[in-house]
Amino acid sequence: MERLFKLSKLEQTIVQFILIAWACVVVFPIFIAVINSLKPNLGEVYKAPFAFPSEWSWDNYWEAWVGANFAKYFLNSAIISGACVLIVTVCASTTAFVLVRMPFKGSVLVFACFMLGVVIPIRLTLAPLFVIVKSLGLLDTLWGVIFVQSASMMPVAVFILTAFLRNVPAELEEAAKMDGALPFQIYWRVVLPLIKPALATVGLLTFVSSWNEYFLPLIFLQSESNYPITLGISQFRLQYDVQWHLMFAGILIMLIPTIVAFLLASRQFIQGLTQGGVKE
Amino acid sequence: MAMKYNQKANLQRIALLTPGVLLYGIFNFLPLLGLLVLALVKWPGIGPIQWVGFENFQILFGNPYFRDQLVNAFLNNIVFFVIIIGAMLILGTGLALLLSFGTWGRNHYRTIFFLPYPLAGAAVAFLMQLLVQTRGPINQMLVGSGITDTAIGFLGEPNLALPTLAVFYSWHRMSFAIILILSAIVAVRVHLLEAAMLDGANRWQTLKAVVFPVLAPAFVLITVIVMVDVFNNADYTLLLMGPEGGPNGRTDIMGTFLFRSAFGGSATSTNVNFGMSATIGLVIAVIILPAALFLALRNVRKD
Repeated sequence: MERLFKLSKLEQTIVQFILIAWACVVVFPIFIAVINSLKPNLGEVYKAPFAFPSEWSWDNYWEAWVGANFAKYFLNSAIISGACVLIVTVCASTTAFVLVRMPFKGSVLVFACFMLGVVIPIRLTLAPLFVIVKSLGLLDTLWGVIFVQSASMMPVAVFILTAFLRNVPAELEEAAKMDGALPFQIYWRVVLPLIKPALATVGLLTFVSSWNEYFLPLIFLQSESNYPITLGISQFRLQYDVQWHLMFAGILIMLIPTIVAFLLASRQFIQGLTQGGVKE
Repeated sequence: MAMKYNQKANLQRIALLTPGVLLYGIFNFLPLLGLLVLALVKWPGIGPIQWVGFENFQILFGNPYFRDQLVNAFLNNIVFFVIIIGAMLILGTGLALLLSFGTWGRNHYRTIFFLPYPLAGAAVAFLMQLLVQTRGPINQMLVGSGITDTAIGFLGEPNLALPTLAVFYSWHRMSFAIILILSAIVAVRVHLLEAAMLDGANRWQTLKAVVFPVLAPAFVLITVIVMVDVFNNADYTLLLMGPEGGPNGRTDIMGTFLFRSAFGGSATSTNVNFGMSATIGLVIAVIILPAALFLALRNVRKD
């Protein structure tokens, strides 16, 4: 065992060389974005993209944030992803609780319907979905996007939570039931604390995917005042296509929340990927 | 008293189940069923709806204008998929193996490699596009080091655009493959490895006999998930090449075709039909159905 995985000095050197090379490939685009977003003018970006800025300047970030409406886009994205996280964690956990702990006639069918959503991507239903959102009067509203994006996360969330809950013994809940606790109380007092780790994974996945979603807002939002940051940056590119230093700053503003989320919870992230890795 | 408890419990159960079922039902499940209905109509999104039966299917497979687009998008999609899956399986396995040895700093490497995964597709697309511009850093590097004489138009060149998009995708999603393969390697039973070593197998033989067989399920899983994703998600093309999948439709894939059929390619486009869009949605669903069913069965078994 040890022998198999232990590397000789030469092997270690070669392996390190390859891994560093790939690390460079991974970090290179982000590094270029960071140094160029801090340059005071476009000339430096064109002339010496690999050099550090002659003078470190935060003006590009300020310009994107204030001048190009990024503050508004950022706020919309925060509202959308915050609401999605809240809705999905609440709705998916109550649904999983009922399906696993209080099954009824047809609960298997309900679960199967949710699993259909895991395998058939919501984008394919774009035409009927558009009709439904439009007939509910939710077109071009943040609520429309929030409902659609949370609904698109529900299948995976229900899947992760039901799988988790099945592996948790029901003893505590039985005891609470003996004491006359009703489902609301059992859910709130017993189940919710039990499923916290899985709920954290679900919340994280929902936050990142709703923050990053481009396609669904593209379909359902028209007015620029409703744009999340993914649409905002396309808008931004139309105006500032050649202003690379501003583009880099805008891109980085957009990446900051997900990078922060990742740094805070990289372990949950990787776990979520391997266990719930059913949908991109 | 007991009766009363049961009644209350039942009501509360309904109350707990309703929000999730309504949310998913209205905004995800109903649209899925709606595909079957809308595929049978002709409707530009406003005005009267016209029932046409299977005419949309006939047009899609029979009318040269649509059929050519369908074939082109499908073939492009396959090329796109093959490049991505090839890169992911080869590089992903290589890197995962290297990380599985007693490599210095392997946890740090794993974290660094994972960095692109949570980034937004829109940001990755624009960032990469800036890097591969003719005046951009990568071309400066290529020309500066004398590898090429003139700058390469990675996204402008008809033959290069699609592979370039595939490289963007692979850069973004590589860690997904690395992590899944790595967790498969780590999960190999230690006693199997020890048995192989006792039998006098060297490292390569052990890898081949013990480790590679357990990678097959991980490979299948990665292939299936990537396939489902690239056949419905066309964000990179939409963002960078527009809904027409330029240059000359060379980057047009199923997702852009679907989008175009409902919302038109450009402002001048009048050829919009929600029925056709639903039809194309169904066709894509059928294409990815084997993969999707595989995933579903796997999930059910895992339960």
